[in-house]
Amino acid sequence: MSTKGTKIPERLKIPFAGITPAPTQEKGQDLFPTGNWRSIRPVYRDKLPPCNNACGTNEKIQGYLDLVKRGKYLDAYALIKEDMPFPSVTGRVCYHPCEQACNRGKYDEAISIRAVERFLGDLGQALARDVVKAGTPNGKKVAVVGSGPAGHSAAYQLARLGYKVTILEKSPKAGGLNRGGIPDWVLPQHVLDREIERLVEIGVTIKTNVEVGKDVTWDELKKNYDACVLAVGLTEPNSVRAEGENKDGVLYGLPFLRDIGMGTSKVKVGARVAVIGGGNTAIDCAREALRQGAVEVTMITVESNPQEMPAVPEDLHDMVEEGVELMHGRTVTAVLGNGRIEALQLHPARFSGAINASPITVDKEAKAERFAVDNVIIAVGQRASLGWLPDEFKTERGTIKIDRFGRLGDTNFFAAGDIVQLGSGQPLMVVNAVGDGKRVAFNLDKVLRGQALEPRTVPVDVLFDLNRMNMTYFPHFPRVQQTLLPAASRRKTQEEVIQAYSEEQAVEEASRCFSCGTCNACDNCYLVCPEPCIVRDVRSNGLYKILVDYCKGCRVCIEECPTGCLEGVPELDFDTGVVRMDTAFAVSPGLHGRQAEELKNLGDRAAKNI
Amino acid sequence: MPTIEVQRQVLPILGSPNQGARFFNPELPSSEPFVPGHRTCAGCGPSIQYRMTTKAAGDNTILVGPTGCMYVANSSYLCTPYNVPWAHTQIGSAGSFTAGVAAAYEAMIRKGKWKGAFPNIICEAGDGSASDIGLASISGALYRNHDCLIICYDNEQYANTGIQASSRTPYGGMTTFSPPGPKVPEAKTLFPKDLARMMAAGHPHCYVATASVGYPIDLMNKVRKGLNHKGAAYLMIYTPCQKGFVYETPRSIDLGRLVVECGLYPIWEWNPEKRAYDYSFRPQNMRPVSEYLKLQGRFGHLHAEHIAKLQNFANEQWRMMGVELPEALIHAADAKNLVNMAAAVEAETVAQTL
Ligand SMILES: Cc1cc2nc3c(=O)[nH]c(=O)nc-3n(C[C@H](O)[C@H](O)[C@H](O)COP(=O)(O)OP(=O)(O)OC[C@H]3O[C@@H](n4cnc5c(N)ncnc54)[C@H](O)[C@@H]3O)c2cc1C
Ligand SMILES: Cc1ncc(C[n+]2csc(CCOP(=O)(O)OP(=O)(O)O)c2C)c(N)n1
Ligand code: SF4
Ligand code: SF4
Ligand code: SF4
Ligand code: SF4
Ligand SMILES: [Mg+2]
Repeated sequence: MSTKGTKIPERLKIPFAGITPAPTQEKGQDLFPTGNWRSIRPVYRDKLPPCNNACGTNEKIQGYLDLVKRGKYLDAYALIKEDMPFPSVTGRVCYHPCEQACNRGKYDEAISIRAVERFLGDLGQALARDVVKAGTPNGKKVAVVGSGPAGHSAAYQLARLGYKVTILEKSPKAGGLNRGGIPDWVLPQHVLDREIERLVEIGVTIKTNVEVGKDVTWDELKKNYDACVLAVGLTEPNSVRAEGENKDGVLYGLPFLRDIGMGTSKVKVGARVAVIGGGNTAIDCAREALRQGAVEVTMITVESNPQEMPAVPEDLHDMVEEGVELMHGRTVTAVLGNGRIEALQLHPARFSGAINASPITVDKEAKAERFAVDNVIIAVGQRASLGWLPDEFKTERGTIKIDRFGRLGDTNFFAAGDIVQLGSGQPLMVVNAVGDGKRVAFNLDKVLRGQALEPRTVPVDVLFDLNRMNMTYFPHFPRVQQTLLPAASRRKTQEEVIQAYSEEQAVEEASRCFSCGTCNACDNCYLVCPEPCIVRDVRSNGLYKILVDYCKGCRVCIEECPTGCLEGVPELDFDTGVVRMDTAFAVSPGLHGRQAEELKNLGDRAAKNI
Repeated sequence: MPTIEVQRQVLPILGSPNQGARFFNPELPSSEPFVPGHRTCAGCGPSIQYRMTTKAAGDNTILVGPTGCMYVANSSYLCTPYNVPWAHTQIGSAGSFTAGVAAAYEAMIRKGKWKGAFPNIICEAGDGSASDIGLASISGALYRNHDCLIICYDNEQYANTGIQASSRTPYGGMTTFSPPGPKVPEAKTLFPKDLARMMAAGHPHCYVATASVGYPIDLMNKVRKGLNHKGAAYLMIYTPCQKGFVYETPRSIDLGRLVVECGLYPIWEWNPEKRAYDYSFRPQNMRPVSEYLKLQGRFGHLHAEHIAKLQNFANEQWRMMGVELPEALIHAADAKNLVNMAAAVEAETVAQTL
């Protein structure tokens, strides 16, 4: 309430028994603390959006989409960089678990998060100076073994924390599977190069052609560094244990792609190529084979149909569109030919689900098929090469044994990425390696500072239920599609298949985001409050405040919050005995209370003052 | 004596994505001409309207408040929730008082007694005042084209005196003056006065529009258009009253949307230059009237035939707006298809996207 502009006569300003005087401007505000009408109090309580939750490195997706929507691209880029060192890379290669989890997927189509991420990543690439700075040097040295996504991420976070980081990489070029696995037409090398430059810019030293176990020993690592992160990935291809697998023309997926990626490939594929395996590596091999000149490419999988293949569906779709044939329910039991491959012998097979023995059951009784080929590329998974690691730190699977903080026993060694995630149930993917690297870097920092390591126990409320939001604010809009190169022309080139968003497209797509459970400063509550007792001092995210002295608890704001951030909590909880009703029992005694004090002293005052 | 040019305020129109949705608006002024501490009911629609209107108008504003809830519940101990000059006027003199304020400012500026821009002069009359008791005075102010904005905050009844029927109370609406009973089962038998169209038709030189609290940006833009218009402007704004309509307080804005989506409160503008109605406003959905009625206790007594009658009324409004009616709404206008309220609710499944 206000008396602004009201001329109050002198005589009405003096309190005397029985009459409430007219309040002054600022006291007028206290006159009726209508908050004591309320039985339910609105509170701002941000929940975790499912996308952030699903992302392997918990990128603040809702946050950067919101910034993109408002045209604050640089802030958005800075936000994504908190958790992700190379959005330009994941913006191209990520299997986007965030989009699978996106609430908008239940409504019309999921947000194309990866495309917006790529838009931001490319923006960052174009910057003359990156927004990320190295931390204040703390004088400690850390070695990171392996320059793949996990190593890159750990080195990046450690540099930001002020460590002197050295990456040891056995290959001639840094990047791990980002370079030596993922093909150019998905991730152009110059994009990766630029991100590695960025890492060097924040003070990370990268030593290539340095192999731990050969050039540097375990003991040297221990002696020369305060701590060490092992992110060595899975570097050795699995074999299919077929007869004659050593014949000429038999290729393995990982080295095949790695050599092409590193620019050291001497392979020339023939016209007919078979790829064994049904995962993402196999798909990349099949599509790469086309680009290397193969005419007919056939993918042979144990899975009995495409749905069962452990592959990203879009990639599978794009591959089939490029003309790769699929052959299901078979495996190769022998490579036929005289010194050089001429054909494959195939038998029906299926997954048995066994974990220790071979997971594949082959029906040897059935009649063998002969399948003529010029080359076969075997892409049935990778394993580690850990000859140099003390046995106490190895698991039966041949990976590194860590505790739940990524630490090797009570040493200052940590491990992250595929090398620890194999068999964990977590898909072996770039973003998961990045998240692992990030978490391990933070744990390492804690150990070196002598702080206790604690698992995350905070219960997080992830908003999955659309009923908790106000959907009337979200008209249906189709997803903004990224353009693809036409299938016919792309199968021959190393050019990027998926094209980038324009600025307008990125903004349009980001605007589709519901901002699930998280206030995005839409101003709804602020505008619809009848009192109005919602104030906003600074016009930016989340900066609203409810004046509980006045809020009557009508809950209009809660009902109209599109994102589900606002919730109601009862002022009196009879079950738990919690009483929050501070205004009901008057935090501020209100004007009447203050006057009561004055009235008490009235008798002491000189008569002329009354 | 040289006359001084009247300096006028021009308020920018706000961007409005999808009319009601996601209306983050960095351009709104930070000052608050309407402050809390008043004693309107929790969730009061007219208060929501006041908040939006004053936010759109800004600080250089003078408010006129004829008797009604927005005066009685709000001003006491020489305090009001209005942080700008505000004056109460008798319920019948809404228009004449406002006209006087406008004329006075014009004269003061002309004579050099008032420096600064011409203020936004806004009269906030309830429907009782605007549609019945003060109709003549408001018509006079519009007719003489005083530079002011007259708003009818339409809560479809005399709320402040304890819910009596006004000429804006809808057909079927229960009030203390129109209770349902064996003789008159539908409570109010008359359809509401078409007040805004009456104002547009009678005063074609004025900017006239309807709005609803369900569409805040649209509402605020119409306030600004009305204020920017040189001469008199008139707005009729739907503002639910939880006490009289008998609904759960959180639904105040929702009702403001539903009443439009159900076709019971057509949103339009009268363009004084073109002398034509602009019916281009379209809500996101079209729904049967039962969706609106079922949320309110004041319609709880209605029978199928009454609901059908209201649906017919809504359908006419849609036709007036030039909207083609979906089959489901034509169907719902026949009482045979709505044996009771429950059957009417079934029609909601056919909500139609425009
Ligand atoms: C063909 C292929 C395609 C893929 N496509 C995708 C995709 O599209 N999207 C996606 O999300 N994921 C994809 N993945 C998975 C993803 O690449 C991996 O999950 C991720 O790279 C794992 O990262 P990492 O850092 O743990 O290991 P790596 O990337 O394998 O990096 C390990 C690094 O350590 C180095 N190293 C190993 N031993 C030593 C040693 N002793 N001394 C020094 N250096 C050593 C290696 O040279 C290598 O550079 C693909 C994988 C493959 C094989
Ligand atoms: C001439 C006159 N008649 C009757 C009244 C009593 N009265 C005071 S407020 C009110 C209701 C006004 O209704 P409305 O204008 O719709 O405003 P609301 O209360 O609904 O906000 C009435 C009838 C009065 N003050 N003056
Ligand atoms: S709608 Fe936005 S916030 Fe919600 S899950 Fe999708 S991307 Fe995340
Ligand atoms: S809209 Fe205002 S009065 Fe109503 S519950 Fe929210 S903060 Fe309180
Ligand atoms: S209504 Fe909008 S501004 Fe208010 S809490 Fe919800 S998201 Fe934030
Ligand atoms: S009776 Fe109606 S109009 Fe009056 S204060 Fe209450 S809700 Fe508002
Ligand atoms: Mg009224």
